Amino acid sequence: MAPHPGIDTDQIREKIRRDLFGLLEGIQGKKNLVIEKSLADVIGIFVKFSTLQEHGVDKLFLLENNNVDSSQKNVVFLARGEKALKPIAVAEQIQRLQKNSSIEHDFSVIWAPRRTLVSDKILEESGVLGDLSVEVLPLYFVPLEQDVLSLCFEDSFSDIYLRRDPTSIFLGAQALMDLQNSHGLFPRIIGKGDQAQRLMELLLRMRSEAAAEDNATTFGPMPSAYVESLIVIDREIDMATPLLTQLTYEGLIDEMFGIQYNSAEIDSSIVGPAPGAQQPARAEGTVAPGLKRKIMLDSTDKLYDQLRDTNFAIVDGLLNKVARRLQSDMHSPRDAKSTSELKEFISKLPGYQAEQQSLRVHIGLTEEMLKHTQSEIFRRCLEVQQNLADGTDPSSQHDSIEELIARDVPLPIILRLLCLESCVSGGLRQRDLENFKRLLLQAYGYQHLLTLASLEKMGMLKIRASANILFNPLGAGSGTVENSSTNYNYLRRVLRLIVDEVDEQNPNDISYVYSGYAPLSIRLVQCILQKQSLLAFTRGTQAPSTANGVASASNTSHGWQGFESALSNVRGATFSKVQKGEDAATKARNMLQGSAGGKVKTVVLMFLGGITFTEIAALRFLAKQEEGRRKLLICTTGIISGNSIMDAVMEKEDFSKG
Amino acid sequence: MSGPTADWEKAGDSFYRKIKFYEAILDPELELEYHVIAGAVYGGALALYRDQERIQTYRSTPSFKSSIDVYSCAGRLIRRINWDKGNIRGLGWSDDEKLLVVTEDGTVRCYYDLHGDFTQFSLGNGAEEHGVVACRFWSHGLVALLSNNRLIAVSNYLEPRPRLLALPPSDMVHSWAIIPPAYTLSRSVEVLLAVGETLYVIDSTEAEDRVLPNGPFQHISVSPNGLYIALYAEGGKVWMIMSDFQSKIGEYESKTKTVPKDVQWCGNDSVVLAWEDEIHMIGPNGAFLRYYYDAWVHLIPDIDGVRLITNDVCEFLQKVPDATVEVHKYGSTSPASVLLDAVQQLESESPKADEDIQLIRPKLPDAVAICVEAAGQEYHSRWQKQLLKAASFGKSILDVYSSDDFVGVCETLRILNAVRDYRIGLPLTYEQYTRLTPVQLIRRLINRSEYLLAIRLSEFLRLPTNNIYVHWAARKARHSSADQESVCRSIVARLSSKRGISFEMIARAAYDEGHGDLATALLHHEARAGKQVPLLMSMSEDELALDKAIASGDPDLVFIVLLNLKKQIPLASFFRMLSNRPMAMALVETSARDQDTSLLKDLYYQDDRRLDGSRLLFSEALAQSAPQTKVDKLKLASKLLADSTKDSAALLTSRLIQETQSLIKVQSSLDNDRPASSQTKFTGLSLNQTVYQLVLGSQIKRANKLAADFHLPPKVSEWIRLRALVVARNWDELEDIARRNKKSPIGWEPYFNEILGAGKIKLAGGTFVAKCTNLTVSERSEMWIKCGMFSRAGDELVKAKDLEGLEKLKKRAGPEGAGEIERMMAGLRLKR
Repeated sequence: MAPHPGIDTDQIREKIRRDLFGLLEGIQGKKNLVIEKSLADVIGIFVKFSTLQEHGVDKLFLLENNNVDSSQKNVVFLARGEKALKPIAVAEQIQRLQKNSSIEHDFSVIWAPRRTLVSDKILEESGVLGDLSVEVLPLYFVPLEQDVLSLCFEDSFSDIYLRRDPTSIFLGAQALMDLQNSHGLFPRIIGKGDQAQRLMELLLRMRSEAAAEDNATTFGPMPSAYVESLIVIDREIDMATPLLTQLTYEGLIDEMFGIQYNSAEIDSSIVGPAPGAQQPARAEGTVAPGLKRKIMLDSTDKLYDQLRDTNFAIVDGLLNKVARRLQSDMHSPRDAKSTSELKEFISKLPGYQAEQQSLRVHIGLTEEMLKHTQSEIFRRCLEVQQNLADGTDPSSQHDSIEELIARDVPLPIILRLLCLESCVSGGLRQRDLENFKRLLLQAYGYQHLLTLASLEKMGMLKIRASANILFNPLGAGSGTVENSSTNYNYLRRVLRLIVDEVDEQNPNDISYVYSGYAPLSIRLVQCILQKQSLLAFTRGTQAPSTANGVASASNTSHGWQGFESALSNVRGATFSKVQKGEDAATKARNMLQGSAGGKVKTVVLMFLGGITFTEIAALRFLAKQEEGRRKLLICTTGIISGNSIMDAVMEKEDFSKG
Repeated sequence: MSGPTADWEKAGDSFYRKIKFYEAILDPELELEYHVIAGAVYGGALALYRDQERIQTYRSTPSFKSSIDVYSCAGRLIRRINWDKGNIRGLGWSDDEKLLVVTEDGTVRCYYDLHGDFTQFSLGNGAEEHGVVACRFWSHGLVALLSNNRLIAVSNYLEPRPRLLALPPSDMVHSWAIIPPAYTLSRSVEVLLAVGETLYVIDSTEAEDRVLPNGPFQHISVSPNGLYIALYAEGGKVWMIMSDFQSKIGEYESKTKTVPKDVQWCGNDSVVLAWEDEIHMIGPNGAFLRYYYDAWVHLIPDIDGVRLITNDVCEFLQKVPDATVEVHKYGSTSPASVLLDAVQQLESESPKADEDIQLIRPKLPDAVAICVEAAGQEYHSRWQKQLLKAASFGKSILDVYSSDDFVGVCETLRILNAVRDYRIGLPLTYEQYTRLTPVQLIRRLINRSEYLLAIRLSEFLRLPTNNIYVHWAARKARHSSADQESVCRSIVARLSSKRGISFEMIARAAYDEGHGDLATALLHHEARAGKQVPLLMSMSEDELALDKAIASGDPDLVFIVLLNLKKQIPLASFFRMLSNRPMAMALVETSARDQDTSLLKDLYYQDDRRLDGSRLLFSEALAQSAPQTKVDKLKLASKLLADSTKDSAALLTSRLIQETQSLIKVQSSLDNDRPASSQTKFTGLSLNQTVYQLVLGSQIKRANKLAADFHLPPKVSEWIRLRALVVARNWDELEDIARRNKKSPIGWEPYFNEILGAGKIKLAGGTFVAKCTNLTVSERSEMWIKCGMFSRAGDELVKAKDLEGLEKLKKRAGPEGAGEIERMMAGLRLKR
């Protein structure tokens, strides 16, 4: 993960920091900061609370807690203004303070990532707009890693596919537009999926809007010299992948403990107590109960960086190796002959200690995870999942699912299984679906009537239209289904989604991330980036790595070419659009630059609706294969997992009131 | 053509020149003496109006309607503004050519283009009662003097905030002037009032008497750079002092008893006194010049000289710039002058040219520079050319020369000559052009509707042209008499390929003029939805605004239009508008779910979305606390679906809602029955959990009844019972079940696993392994092994005659069990 020339994610991070500090310093004196929970977490990625204090923040409150006090004259709110709820909360708290507080407060509101008309209207109607200063923190893409940019919208998945609220698509387009403004146009936009197409159209539209805005230049922006293309993948085209249990180290941690913004809260009985008192920025009153410990999971932890994208099956062995090496390193002073050797050892000691600390954490985690993965329930679920993914007759799995329900396995797991079946086999038979609905409601409560309705609305759970069309493995290109759903039965064969022999130690294909299933979303990316080697692979002849090199020199200018029939079996629109600058300007640049061949170009990938850690791992695997030819920059609306999808959909209320 | 020094005159050590800009500028019938005239700086437009209060010669024809006429310096009428708003007390210009008209009652009109569009504000602060007497203007502000001597300052016209200055003395004001804020120490405007014999300086906080002895002063004038003040005292004396009142720099006796009608600075080193047809110019050190006219003459001060306006001519009086003097002064032997001579010699093919060059060789770079500079100052193209030719000749001899200045002056001269043309009438000097800046010059051209020239100049200067196009189109949209459709078409055809075109501004112009349809048509071409939508909303084109907002993809815009619409139109038509716009519908549904569920109910009702409606009621039921209200809500929810008998989804939902009701009823009666000591509350649990809790509480009969009532599948209830019994550690019951039943719906293996998992090895092994008859031998033996019952496992294998299995078993059994396994193996071998 070398830094990207051109699009430097560190710069983006620095800019956000600068912007934030600039805004805070713009308000004279000490201030209380009231921040929306999700934003607090996002900002916590790169700003520690102590740093905020250096910029005049006295206390931190969460907007959701509604507990800001009047200890400071300056009160600063930081929230998202896209939906009405947050501005209403801000307005109410300002009114409350104005009424109850003995001192006259100076209020400021910082909207992220933009100031909306709606927020203005709400503040105006509550009569507080005149009393406060309104600022904007353009918080679009947040770098999670050097190769991952996320908009960090927690609700983007359910917003887009359940509520059909296009906010995150629009803001995603604005964020990409931002990239285009500073790095030049994406020379080609390739994508799949209806919402992806919408995003592409928005990008084109924003470009023409920018042309109307901009009066200084005679020429519009030029295609970028170091960005090869933008690939937009709509989550909707491959709902099955996130429903499967992630089997990379990082993915499995996410499944078991949940990773939020590069950190996870884990029971300290598993990972041991925190070493120092270094607390990340955290609002008052949210200090976790003593049992939990927040651990950072990012590339600053070198050990984790090695482990995160490997299949969990080999983590155990890797940790062993590291432990042995560390042990011999630590004991090396015994062999040290001269003082200079000893000195060298001493200088390395802090590094060893950090490594030891991190080793302890990961061994603890791995032990706990091994316990979990060896449990009968986990293995049963995995078996059902893999059978469904393999294309085994789904009805043969129903007994297992019913049993899991009867054994009170957590609802998200069951829902993932059912939705997976619905996705890969084009729906459930009506009788089966009704039967399962009743079983679910009886087992988990009737409030989930609403949960199921939501899943059906999203198309994740549906009645199979007509068994014979979709079940025909040769249904390719029959065109009758008109891309309304992804035909996994066909794609499984054509794109070789199922790979039987997986070498987890030295993987030769992305399918290692799910121990034998290659995520469709990433296969589609391969359709663009690695046409030849993918063709060779799907035909079963393993492409030798040398041929691979020549083959993938074919660049993205061919778009989807060669995979049209596969594409027609994937849900949603397919597009490949070339963006050109004005002819005169292009010519001029070509003359100045000559051919820009041989340079390493960046491919920007936008995963609309979210991406899982396993898919990121698979993309990094691709990036390693492409090293020296191109770089991949992963953008997304947010990191998701099967659990987070279900969590967003599940009805939280039950009938226990009263 | 006359020589370059023909219009020069010498005063003291300096030369002054009077350049004739234009001739025959105004109608000879126009009686200039009865007009008030104001001119914008940088060669800007002139505004004239007939002063009604002055005694006038009788005219047989009644004087026509009063108006303010705006002329270019060449006398072209740009605009006639009809005036019926009362007496004008102040007429002036801002630097960016806004015309300001102040009336007696304190109303200020700011005509921001030259076409009669204006903004208006009132001075307030007592201006209405006392009346404005006079006004003075500076680059972007004005000061008004009221009849009670109060002063009101306005420092900008975009957001005018008139404020009172400090209280001045109440005696009669003989004359007054202002020092613009840019030149004062306080950075706010200062007013000089000649009251009594002395002079007061008034700013926002205080009025200070400067105690000058020589008053009363009839005229006060401040130099363009704000450093000097000229005072005209009764008796014909003129004093020139520093504006800090520290020193006197000049004094002049005009020897004329008549008080001049105007006193103005000409540049920063001389003062011009104007009588009706006579001009005195006082240079430094008491030198002076006199000019006589045969008609009434007006002074228009500019930054580097004074424009003189009569009916006949527009002239410019200025000090001759140093470079020009050096080149052209008669008998000059300066290098630049010699260079100019050399080029003339060259033209006449005389060898003297070379001599000249040799003469000035060491100073040639300076000579070239001076020639270039002088060329810029020249007004006649012939001398411009001559000087540039000289410079060009000189630089061709030089080894090293940077042509930047030369090229710059050439370009500037092209521009200056173009705008000085009488058809444009902008007689800019080089210095004025630099101060004005090219961008402002383009704006002046736009305001004069000189679009072609503006575009050419912009392209020449590499400046953006989009504003010119927008301005052109806005003018066309406003004033074109052609039918609106063709206007729109022609505008779009002209602008479609240009960048940075704001169709919104054009549309706004059309809308302001009442061409609503044209505005709408134009707005279609606006690319930025953020601009389209607000205008469409203000035009009440609600539906169109909604569509444009949706097309923009910006939910915020859609939302704001929807909020607006919801207030304005009946709910039914609001919903109708949503029905074929999925994005708007989605946004309304999402926000209503958070804030206004009754709206959502109405929406679902009107759209006949019963399933959604009943789900909404269902979620309301979740929020209720009393069991009865929960049930009531649920009843409503299922009633909504009662008619949809054909829809299988509705049927199922309705059945499930009914089940929900019965469960709630059962649970509330369970809760009523339960002993007070019990912690478990049933309400809120799922059916399975309820059964589980009942088993856990040993109410097995009740559990079974509940399971049967709700048609719980046997497998499920079996599992629930098993799990609950294991957790309750009710081993007797489990053993009993094993004894009573031959078969179990879920087989016996789960029993084995669960009980083993709970650590009850004896029970698991002793009772349940044997019951798993459907499993293979090896599986069963594995189960025995898990219980540590190796001999039983061995028996199992012996039965299957699995010698290999026994071998393996031996290893796992460890030293204690190994002997027995060995025996078994021996027995098996024997049997063979």
